[in-house]
Amino acid sequence: MKPIQQFIEVIENKDFAALGALFTPDGHYCDYCANGTAQHEYHLYGKEAIAMFFRNKFLFRQYSIMGAAVLDDRHAEFIASFGGYNIMAIVTLQQLSEDGHIKRLTVRPK
Amino acid sequence: MGVYAITGGSSGIGAKTVELLKKRGNQVVNIDLKKCDIQANLATPEGRQKAIDELHRMHPDGLDGLICSAGVSGACGNLELIISLNFFGTISIVKGVYDLLKKKGGTCVVTTSNTISQGAARMDIADLLNNNNDDEQRLLNLVSRMDGTNLSVGNSIYVATKYALARWMRRHSASYAANGVRINAVAPGNVNTAMTATMSSNAKSALNALPIPTKYGRETLMDPEEIASVIVFLSSDDARGVNGNVMFVDGGTDALLNTEKVY
Repeated sequence: MKPIQQFIEVIENKDFAALGALFTPDGHYCDYCANGTAQHEYHLYGKEAIAMFFRNKFLFRQYSIMGAAVLDDRHAEFIASFGGYNIMAIVTLQQLSEDGHIKRLTVRPK
Repeated sequence: MGVYAITGGSSGIGAKTVELLKKRGNQVVNIDLKKCDIQANLATPEGRQKAIDELHRMHPDGLDGLICSAGVSGACGNLELIISLNFFGTISIVKGVYDLLKKKGGTCVVTTSNTISQGAARMDIADLLNNNNDDEQRLLNLVSRMDGTNLSVGNSIYVATKYALARWMRRHSASYAANGVRINAVAPGNVNTAMTATMSSNAKSALNALPIPTKYGRETLMDPEEIASVIVFLSSDDARGVNGNVMFVDGGTDALLNTEKVY
């Protein structure tokens, strides 16, 4: 399975540990969609921080996605729910390591 | 060395704070329900007045510090108790011994919670507590109609009391400091205390979803001493430049969940 497909799958399954494991040790997760919601942008550095952060968001139902569609090897789009506030989003795998881990990922409003 | 009063000093963070203060040679008066110097129920107006009167009788020359640690969790199942003890029990004592703190240029530290930054508070309740805190009974009547058995309701009320307490401290900090009394708050993360030890499995699951970066990889909570040492610092002259500050002592949970909040 390609990294973009893995990313969508783990987010849909709310598997925070697997999500963290998709990233390099210093991987960067950057989500600009939260602006305009009750939450702030997500700027997470490091796979452990990513796993810890989403453990919280998933359990407290502060983040989920629906209607995901993979566009190509680097892009997918979905509706992101920030605690019930829905935003059409597009995710981009900006940088991958040689072994296929995510070095930098951005999510922006579509 | 100084004379400090503390609420909730018989267990948890409070007990560890008493221990650290005494190690430094301070005299400590513990206000609690048991194993204490002043036995008083701070959830009631009568209990609060008893504690205030006793402190005035014992230390008419003033206090060097007041530390407010008494409180209950959102899982206690009693919404009125959460409001009356966590919020009114704290602000009443602070206001009641303010004159004693002024006499010695003392300090005050109140205990809030790092959950205040996570958006789970019933903000209408927090606003009512801050803006209508001369009407305790009406507010108690309001929350008595809510479902105290629902864990998320209990948590939202708990966070509201802690949010309101932090905001109350901020609102009063400038005036207090101008009168020689510093006031600050600590916002602990999840701590190993009797409160957390007796939580249901659902509540514990929620606790573990508030990750503590300094404890990464271990399903463990913070040690009471990690919080108490910061309370002692804020109460000391080393922190003489710190006033009106909510200091998060949570191993980095707040920073993890709110990277963009730098102020």
